[in-house]
Amino acid sequence: MASSQPVKPPLATQASQAQRGSQPGLRYPSNGKTIYHRPLNRSRTQELSQSSFAYLFGEMVSYAQKRVTGIQDLEKRLNVQGHPIGLKLLDLLLYREPPRTQTRPLHIIALLQFITTILWRHLFSRPADALEKSSNPDTPEEYMISDNEPLVNQYISVPKEMNQLNCAAFVAGIVEGVCDGAGFPARVTAHSVGKGEEGELWPGKTVFLVKFEPEVVEREAYLGRS
Amino acid sequence: MVVFALIIINKAGGLIYQRDFAEGLNKLSINDYLVLAGTFHGVHAITTRLNPLHQHNLPPSTSDVRPDPPSGIEVLETENFRLQCFSTLTGTKFLLFTEPQQPNVDKIVGRIYELYSDYVMKNPFYQLEMPVRCESFDRKLVQYVRPLNSR
Amino acid sequence: MVVYSFYIFDRHTECIYSRLWARQPDRPISSGPPPSRPISTSSTSSAPITLAPTNELNPPRRSTRLSAQDDAKLIFGTIFSLRNMVRKLGGPEDSFISYRTGQYKLHYYETPTSIKFVMLTDTQTLNMRNVLHQIYVNLYVEFVVKNPLSPVEHPGGEGVANELFELALDQFVKGVL
Repeated sequence: MASSQPVKPPLATQASQAQRGSQPGLRYPSNGKTIYHRPLNRSRTQELSQSSFAYLFGEMVSYAQKRVTGIQDLEKRLNVQGHPIGLKLLDLLLYREPPRTQTRPLHIIALLQFITTILWRHLFSRPADALEKSSNPDTPEEYMISDNEPLVNQYISVPKEMNQLNCAAFVAGIVEGVCDGAGFPARVTAHSVGKGEEGELWPGKTVFLVKFEPEVVEREAYLGRS
Repeated sequence: MVVFALIIINKAGGLIYQRDFAEGLNKLSINDYLVLAGTFHGVHAITTRLNPLHQHNLPPSTSDVRPDPPSGIEVLETENFRLQCFSTLTGTKFLLFTEPQQPNVDKIVGRIYELYSDYVMKNPFYQLEMPVRCESFDRKLVQYVRPLNSR
Repeated sequence: MVVYSFYIFDRHTECIYSRLWARQPDRPISSGPPPSRPISTSSTSSAPITLAPTNELNPPRRSTRLSAQDDAKLIFGTIFSLRNMVRKLGGPEDSFISYRTGQYKLHYYETPTSIKFVMLTDTQTLNMRNVLHQIYVNLYVEFVVKNPLSPVEHPGGEGVANELFELALDQFVKGVL
């Protein structure tokens, strides 16, 4: 009897404290709905300010620029920064597809169509402008995705002495991550084809060159489609 | 309704951008423009001090509204052109040379400041207070001013 | 339309006449004198006499404000630089008319003999070029140039601040504005 007295109040206080949620630790909102109750696709139409992204991306480029010695190295750094994003995006985007099409793409064309429509729409709210297969017989495994005005390059003007740099190497890294994650190892690079002259419609036009590894091409041929 | 030229001066009084859009002002060498920018920067500072309305009764410290600090030249008028000087909170000055009767100069200067903050400030290759060499800034500026001049 | 001050500079870059109309809108220690009491200074020997009474009326003012002579020098420097800038940009025929800041407006008129008339007013005033021209034609030429007793050049402002000129200027400014 005497021992049960001191036992009760601590239990009672603990329960009430958990209900109130004022203990240090996990806190619950008053209506009981946590982040797990929110629908998963809620963030689909939310917008982010383009200025915040532009400043962040500018800092990424300056950060990389301080630590490298050449343009190729800078592009490689941006590529490496985009790669993990691509890996994670692949799972998310496949999950968000309606169940009928929720399958991993098995052929190169399916993968590239997934990239140019679903991925581009998720990143830039518009599909990519063109998808082409390389017509050069020496390099049958090269495909080209072109974008007339990459969003990440909108506020960036590259100085004349660094003419070959294209900061869309970051987006190339994302695409490379998606390809690698889907089982199609590839190397993706960004090339600017807009000359920036007066009167040119798309001075910032960029082409992403997707070059698949030889084993992918072999597998493709084996599966009967090329 | 012609906009003749735009000059941007940095915090220290150095010329960082100069561009002509239409005929109407004499063409000067780049040295002359540098000297002009420095002179104007100094004159702007002096005109702040020439204020004849010195307020000596200080407002009580509990008031929320501080009196505006004296500002320098905002508009300079001559027979052939008018110079509008927009001074930002960061010390950068935008000098716009227009016709004397140009309407809506405030809107034009506001838009140019917007273009500057977008295409120059967000460029990772631009060093602060250095001359502005951003291709997209040039392109957008010309795209904006040309229809104004040809109207 | 309020006029704050008026200056005349000659072609030897000297200030030969200056006139300030002191504004006292909300002074807690205003001790009686009418609001727009003119304090005219010209660097003649009468300068100490005119400055003394103002000192006893506005003691806090003089210590922090620039003296009137420094003001005149700064104004001259400013208009000289701006005039050269305008000549360079607009051609040798162009002439600078006025400039405006957030607090005041400065009007400028130069005669063919390189005499410069400068007037500071509030920001709402429109073009004062004609007014300055009138002052030159009707007041300066009449009372200073045509005065047989005043010297041809006015070093140190000698001969400009004669009574007729000052009275007429006062009347003109108060009447027209």
